[in-house]
Amino acid sequence: MAEIKVTLVTGRTADQGASLEIGKTSEEYRESVAVVELSKRDAEELGLSEGDPVKVKTDYGSVIVKGKISEKLNPGLSFMPYGPWVNQVIGSETHGTGMPFYKGLRASISSAKGASILTIEELANRLMRG
Amino acid sequence: MSTYENVVCPFCGCLCDDIEVTIEDGKIVRAKRTCKVALSKFLNHAENRIENPMVRKDGKLVPVSLGEAIDQSVEILVNSSWPLVYGLASTECDANRKAIELAELVGGVVDNTTSVCHGPTVLGFQDVGEPTATLGEIKNRADLVVFWGCNPAAAHIRHTARYSVSPKGLFTPEGRKHRTIVTVDVRETGMATISDLFIKIKPGMDFELLSALRATIKGHKMKNEDVAGVKMEEIGRVAEKMKTCKFGVIFFGLGLTMSKSKYMNMDALVCLVRELNAHTKFVALPMRGHYNVTGSCMVSSWLTGYPYAVDFSRGYPRYNPGEFTAVDVLAKGGVDAALIVASDPAASFPVEAARNLAKIPTIVMDPKITMTTLIGNIVIPVAVAGIECEGTAYRMDGVPIRLRKVVDPHEGVLPDSKILQMIIDRIRE
Amino acid sequence: MAGIVIKNGYVFDPLNGIAGEQMDIYIDGGKIVEGIKGRKSKVINASGMTVMPGGVDIHSHIAGSKVNTGRSLRPEDHRKDAVPKTKYTRSGVGYSVPTTYVTGYRYAKMGYTTVIEPAVPPLKAKHTHEELSDTPIVDSGFLTLMDNNYLVMKYVRDDEFEKLKAFVAWLLRATRGYTIKVVNPGGVENWKWGGNVDGIDDEVKNFNITPREIIRGLVRAREELGLPHVVQLHASRLGVPGNYETTLKTMQCCEDIRPIGDREGVMHVVHVQFNSFAGESFADFRSGASEVADYVNKHKHVALDLGQVIFTDTTTMTGDGPWQYRLYKLTGNKWVNGDVELEAGSGVVPYTFKSSSPVNAVQWAIGLEVALLVEDPWRVYLTTDHPNGGPFIYYPKVMAWLMSEKARSDTLGEAHKWGSSRTALPSIDREYDFNEIAIVTRAGTAKALGLKNKGHLGVGADADVAIYDINPKKFEPSNYELVEKAFSAARYTVKDGEIVVKDGEVVASPIGRRFWVNVKVPEDIEEAVLGDIKEVFEKYYTVSLENYPVQDEYLLKPEEIRIDATAKW
Repeated sequence: MAEIKVTLVTGRTADQGASLEIGKTSEEYRESVAVVELSKRDAEELGLSEGDPVKVKTDYGSVIVKGKISEKLNPGLSFMPYGPWVNQVIGSETHGTGMPFYKGLRASISSAKGASILTIEELANRLMRG
Repeated sequence: MSTYENVVCPFCGCLCDDIEVTIEDGKIVRAKRTCKVALSKFLNHAENRIENPMVRKDGKLVPVSLGEAIDQSVEILVNSSWPLVYGLASTECDANRKAIELAELVGGVVDNTTSVCHGPTVLGFQDVGEPTATLGEIKNRADLVVFWGCNPAAAHIRHTARYSVSPKGLFTPEGRKHRTIVTVDVRETGMATISDLFIKIKPGMDFELLSALRATIKGHKMKNEDVAGVKMEEIGRVAEKMKTCKFGVIFFGLGLTMSKSKYMNMDALVCLVRELNAHTKFVALPMRGHYNVTGSCMVSSWLTGYPYAVDFSRGYPRYNPGEFTAVDVLAKGGVDAALIVASDPAASFPVEAARNLAKIPTIVMDPKITMTTLIGNIVIPVAVAGIECEGTAYRMDGVPIRLRKVVDPHEGVLPDSKILQMIIDRIRE
Repeated sequence: MAGIVIKNGYVFDPLNGIAGEQMDIYIDGGKIVEGIKGRKSKVINASGMTVMPGGVDIHSHIAGSKVNTGRSLRPEDHRKDAVPKTKYTRSGVGYSVPTTYVTGYRYAKMGYTTVIEPAVPPLKAKHTHEELSDTPIVDSGFLTLMDNNYLVMKYVRDDEFEKLKAFVAWLLRATRGYTIKVVNPGGVENWKWGGNVDGIDDEVKNFNITPREIIRGLVRAREELGLPHVVQLHASRLGVPGNYETTLKTMQCCEDIRPIGDREGVMHVVHVQFNSFAGESFADFRSGASEVADYVNKHKHVALDLGQVIFTDTTTMTGDGPWQYRLYKLTGNKWVNGDVELEAGSGVVPYTFKSSSPVNAVQWAIGLEVALLVEDPWRVYLTTDHPNGGPFIYYPKVMAWLMSEKARSDTLGEAHKWGSSRTALPSIDREYDFNEIAIVTRAGTAKALGLKNKGHLGVGADADVAIYDINPKKFEPSNYELVEKAFSAARYTVKDGEIVVKDGEVVASPIGRRFWVNVKVPEDIEEAVLGDIKEVFEKYYTVSLENYPVQDEYLLKPEEIRIDATAKW
C-alpha cells in the first residue's frame, strides 16, 4: 500500500474554533477537525480525492481522518487541526518542559478507503477501555 | 428584548470588548462586531449544555442532585493521595483563585492550559525576560509587525483589525499603509497572504533563523548560504528592516512553543528583540490562546509565586514544569484523581495522557458536553463566564477587563467559583 | 469582639507628643478609646516593652502588574523562601517578590498595618486591586501613575490647567487610586521610541513640553484639588552618576508652589538614595547625600523616602522603563519591559547588592546619610523602595543602622572602603531614638498620607497597635541586634482591635481596607474633560471607555475619602 512520509503540523483553524463553540459532539466539529490537509502532489501520489479517508500514523499511534487537499502546502508537509483525532498520534513525552511535540513530528499517511472516521463518543469509549 | 454594548468576548486572548449583544427571552439572538468564532460562542451558548450534575454508576452517567455531586467530588479529592486540578484558562479569575485554594487544601497539583500552550514562553521568559508593551502601543506606534509561528487569521481573528495591522492610531494615522507586515511560518497561512513579506521557514528551525538574524544585526558575517531554508540575502533584508524601523514588534505563537527547541526558541527570540533595542524600539508579544490563560498565570503567580505547574503536596508551592505539568503527571502516572475545570484535556492531550485521565476518578466542571465530560466520573454543569456570570479576565498583554453577565444561567447552574467554594467548604467541615 | 487593654508599655505616639511614657492603651470596637468601663476585656501585659501605632509604609511595590511580572520571572528567588501553610495562614513564597498572602502576613509580623503601593498604570488598576484583595490584614491603597499619560501631557502642552485638574480627579476615581504618582516624567514617553530625558528641561518628543512642566502641572493640580497626600515623584536620571544635581533641580522647580491649608509640603521625592549620586561616572562615584540633605533642610516643601540598600539579591521594578533597560545593559541580567499604551511604562530586572562592590557600598551609605543628615524626621520616611533596594523584611535592619552608630560602622567595616571614603557616613554619629523611629515608620508617614486615623494612638484612631519586645529605657545602641530581633517579630500586632500577630506568628487574617480618593469637580469642566476622554478612547485606546473604570466589586472593604474641590475651584 502506498504510503508517504510527511512532517505533521497541528494548529487552530477558524472552523475548528467556531464548531467547537457549537459543541464537541456536533457533526460540524467532526467535519472540521477530523481532517488532514495534504499538498496536491502528496494527494496525487496516494491516489486520493478530496474527502477520502486516510490513515495517519506516527510512532505513537494511528488514526483515520478525512483527507483534504491544500494548494498552500509544500509536498512533505501536512496539517491537522487541534483535537482528539490528531491527539491519537501525538506522544506525551515533554522532555522536561510540560509541552508535548505537537508540531513538526514525522508521520506517514496512507489511503484508508472504506474505513470509517470515529466519532468523539467512540474515541471517548476507547479511552475508557484503556 | 435588551441590548448590551461593550460586552467582552470570552474566547481568545484578544479579549475584544466592543461586542454588542441582543437578548430575547433569556437567549442571545444577535451579536455584532464579533469574529466567526465569537459569533458561534455567543449564539450557541445554550447548545450542547450539560443539563444536570451527573455521577457515573455502573459505567453510565446518571443525573444526581448538586449536593450529591459535591459530596462525591469531596470523597474523591479527600481520599486521593495526589489529585490534579487542571484547566482554568477558560474561566474567570475568582474560579482560578478558588481552584488554587482547593489544590492547597488537598495537597494536590494545580496546572493551567499554559503548560500545553505558552508554557515554553514562560520558561524562556524566566531565563531572559521579555521586552513587551500593551496592544495599544502597537496600534499607536508600530511600523514593523512580524508574525512568527502564529496565524491570527485562524486563532485571533480580530487581532489584525483591532491591534496589529490595520488600525489607525496616534502616530499611525495611515493605518495599514503605515506598517510593513512580515509573516514567518512553515506554510502559507491566512496571515501570509495579507503580509508584505512571507518567509517560509523549514519546520523546526526557528532557533537557527532567530539566531542568524541576531548575528546579522550584531554585524557578524555568516558563512552560510542559507539558514533554515531562508537565503542569507533575505535574512539580511529582514535584519535591516528590523534595525531601521521606528517601532517593531514580533507576535509569536505556538509555532515556536510547540516545535523542536520549544523554550529555546523563546530565548532566541527575546535575545533578538533585546539586541534590537540597542538600535530602535522593539517589543515582543506572545499570542496567548484562551481568553483568560493570561489570567490563570497571573492568579497563580500572585498566590503561589509560579505561573503554572504548581504542586502543594508538601504544604507549600513547588514549581517544576516537566514534573508537575498536567501531561506529565498524567502520562507518567502519579496523580490518582483529577478535577478538570473549563477545559477538555481528554480531547487536547496526547492519547496516552488522555487514557490515564480516563482511568482515574475524574470530576469535570464544564458548561458543555466535551470529550472529558464523556469520560468523567462526576460531571457538574457550570455557568459560562462572560455570558452567564461576571469575573475578571486578562488579555494577552496583561490588561484586566471585567467580563459581563448578559443572561441568567439555567436554574441550578452556578458559576465555577461557587461550585469550587462549595467543595472547599465541604472539605473543611 | 472584647476590648483590649495594653498595660504598662512604653508608648511612642509622636503625633500626640508621647515619647516613651509608660501608660495604658485602651481598645474597644476597633478603635482607641479613653477607657473601658466594666466590660470584660483582654489584658496584654506590655511591661518593659515598646508600644507604637501600627507601621505605615508609604512606598512599597507589593501588588499589580509589574510586581507580578517580578514574581513569575523569579522562581529562583522563591525557592529559597518557601512558606508552608499553617492553621491560620495560606502557603506561599517570600523573599524579594513575596506572594500576596505572605506579603500581608510578613508586614503584620513586623507590626505594620498599612501599606501603600506606589505605582499603578490606570489601564491595569484592576490587577492591583485584585492582588490587594488577596493581601490580608493590612489596609492599603495605591498611587496612580499620571505623568506620562497622553491627556496629562496634552493639557500641559496646551496650558489647560483647569482640564488637567479635572482629569486628575477623573483618573483617580476611575482607578480608585489615592494620589498622583510621577515617574521619570516625559522620559517614559520618550522611551516608547527608545529614548529618555537627560534632565527636567529636556524635550518630550511629539509633545513639545519638558519634564519640568509636567511636574509643576501635577504638583499644582494636587494643591488646588486638595488631595490628602502630596505628589510622589521618582526623579529623572535615576541611577546615573551625578544625578543629585537633577534631583536638586527637581526639588527647586516647585519651590514657589504654595501648599494649601496648614500643610508645608508639596512633593515627596521617592527612594532618594537612587537619585543622590555624585561623581561623573562609576569610576569617580561619590555620595551626593549631603547636597540633597542640605537642600531639604533649607526647604520645607519637600519630603523624602530613603530607598535604603540592603546587601542581598533582590528584584528591581519601577515604572522607569528606560532606567530598567539601562540596568539590564549594566548587568546582563534578565530584563522585562512593559510599556502601557497612552499611560506609563515599567521594567523588572533582578539585581544583587554586594558589600564588596564599591558602588553598592556607597549606595548603602547614601540612604543612611540622608536619613541622618536631614534634621526634620517628619520629612523622612523609612523605605527600601521594596523590593528595589531590598525586601521589606529588612526594615528592622535599617532601623538598627539608624539607631546605632556601631551597627553602621560594623557594616562599613565589612563593606568596600568606598563606603567610608566616598561618603560622609563615618563622620556621622547621630543615632535615632525610638521616637524618631516611630516618626519615620508610622507617625510621619500616616501624617503625610493624610490618614487621620492611622499612625497614632489618640482616642478615635483605628486600633492598629504594635508591641515590640524591647525596653527603650534600657536599650544601648551598641546592642543593635536587639532592635533587629524585636522589630522583626512583634510580640503583638493588633489590627482594628483584633489580635492578628502573637509572639511573631500570625493568628488571624482579616481583610484590610482599601483607601481611595474621590474628588468632586465642577460639572461643566468635568463634562468638557469627558468629551476629550471619549475621543481618546475611541481613537487610541484598545479597550472601551465603559470597561475602563474599576468597578465596585474590586474593593472588598472600600474606604472612600471624599473631597469637594468645587468650592475653591
